[in-house]
Amino acid sequence: MNFEQTATQQPTVMVAPDAAERVLDVRGLDFFYGKHQALHGVDLPVARGKITALIGPSGCGKSTLLRTLNRIYDLYPGQRAQGDIHFNGENVLAPGVDVTSLRARIGMVFQRPTPFPMSIYENIAFGVRLQRKVGRTEMDEIVERALGRAALWDEVKDKLHQSGLGLSGGQQQRLCVARGIAVEPEVLLLDEPASALDPLSTAKLETALLELKDSVTIVIVTHNLQQAARISDYTGFMLMGRLVEFRPSSDAFVKPETQAMRDYVTGRYG
Amino acid sequence: MAEAMTIAGKPGRGDGLFHALCFSAAMVLMATLAGLIVALFIGGWPALSHFGIGFFTSSTWDPVADEYGAAGPIVGTLITAFFAMVLALPLAVGIAVFLVEFCPQRIAHWVAVAVELLAGIPSIVYGMWGLFVLAPWFAEHVQMPIIMNAEPGSLMERLFMGVPNGANIFTASLILAIMVLPYIATVFRELLLSVPTHMREAAYGMGCTPFEVTTSIMLPYIRKSAIGAVMLGLGRALGETMAVTFIIGNSHAFPQSLFDSGSTIASTIANEFTEATGDMHVSALIALGLVLFAITFTTLAAARLLLGKERV
Repeated sequence: MNFEQTATQQPTVMVAPDAAERVLDVRGLDFFYGKHQALHGVDLPVARGKITALIGPSGCGKSTLLRTLNRIYDLYPGQRAQGDIHFNGENVLAPGVDVTSLRARIGMVFQRPTPFPMSIYENIAFGVRLQRKVGRTEMDEIVERALGRAALWDEVKDKLHQSGLGLSGGQQQRLCVARGIAVEPEVLLLDEPASALDPLSTAKLETALLELKDSVTIVIVTHNLQQAARISDYTGFMLMGRLVEFRPSSDAFVKPETQAMRDYVTGRYG
Repeated sequence: MAEAMTIAGKPGRGDGLFHALCFSAAMVLMATLAGLIVALFIGGWPALSHFGIGFFTSSTWDPVADEYGAAGPIVGTLITAFFAMVLALPLAVGIAVFLVEFCPQRIAHWVAVAVELLAGIPSIVYGMWGLFVLAPWFAEHVQMPIIMNAEPGSLMERLFMGVPNGANIFTASLILAIMVLPYIATVFRELLLSVPTHMREAAYGMGCTPFEVTTSIMLPYIRKSAIGAVMLGLGRALGETMAVTFIIGNSHAFPQSLFDSGSTIASTIANEFTEATGDMHVSALIALGLVLFAITFTTLAAARLLLGKERV
């Protein structure tokens, strides 16, 4: 079977959350790297307070889709998006959107841990200070709460003023999650956050994400199907720049409707 | 072939020759360096032993009386190099940040080429420009107004007094700054480009503005290597000869103000070597060379150490 045919011929299966529940609503999104089109008319509803997982083979466009949601692609001339991304009734892609405040409301955690070159405490305080002035005691509380919610507090509480670079990979990644949620964003985007972590660190990260979802909506790109099945409420399966199937995770993994997703989750495609 | 192949053979004769060639190439360099140090030391020894510590502390440089104290040139060297860095560093950082963060890539490439071309201009051209263009302009439009307006006896006057001919320590620093600028800017640009993409994206992903990304993330990230880059620029500023000789005014007295004429070690040697007749005069100049060598060697060694510590 040919991938291209699979992606274009089969109709999209979409079992979406109600419009009222959606914090982000992507409609007809096309994305271009120069002349190369990486996304073709993608629709993606993101339900508030849920974890939405994006899965699919390498190069299917799931990371690209994630990177449009906070317009981080803006950093690179030649990359552009067309379509609509509704975020609380505003179009993220509209010209004149203040990307700085957009990114403060839609945080992002990357594949590789990215602790900033400063102390653990400062890594978190830095982002908070970008938003507003905070007193010493309040900042201490914010830092403790963020680290606690990211399931990292117990491991670092005695070395808050040491460099964030001295932590293990898994701890660094949870530090990045803590940094992301300390500014109280509405949405947190995670781009394969566990791909560089060992199983134990991955489990800790997943626990943290599950506890976070009451307060922050999470969109996670992952190669790990078990992970998507374990933690997500909705799963979107992408192929060749298209969203092929989107359903509640409880159904999606048990009984994929499209042939393509069936093949993917049973391991017939890499 | 009757015998079985064995792996315990002698290395091929070609390998031995190749090894020897590479080894001697490296040794030639080491021997040159060692020879240089020994020659400087032997040549400078008569002056160093005769004047002792006075060679470094006295500022009486009098070839007629055969008295040589090098405090003037030594301090002049350090001051001009220091001010050159103070002037060049902010500009260089600005150029590098602009090229990496703000400038469209196609234009950035050409600006970077232009900056590197600046490094290719021979120092004697900078010197002539300094003497014939910069110095007269500086004397008329900067030095004179300051001198005319300064309160007698004020700090202002003390800092800026001097013969208003434009040939002084400050203009020498200015020329040096222009000369080291491309080196520092180029290294800074490369360091900034070496900051991992995911680090930049993470910072922008937090909602940082370009200014915050640059000052809070990128510059701290390259901090140690950046100090190394500054040291390399400093090393060049310390040893620069031709341009400085043109414009520093060449006085061996201990400089009294920023606008006083002075000298550097390199300019003193360049000026006097052909005219040095007495053995002690030659020896004093060679000893000066040894001092300069020690200063630049220390600077470069420190730079190496810092650059090697954190490879980014």
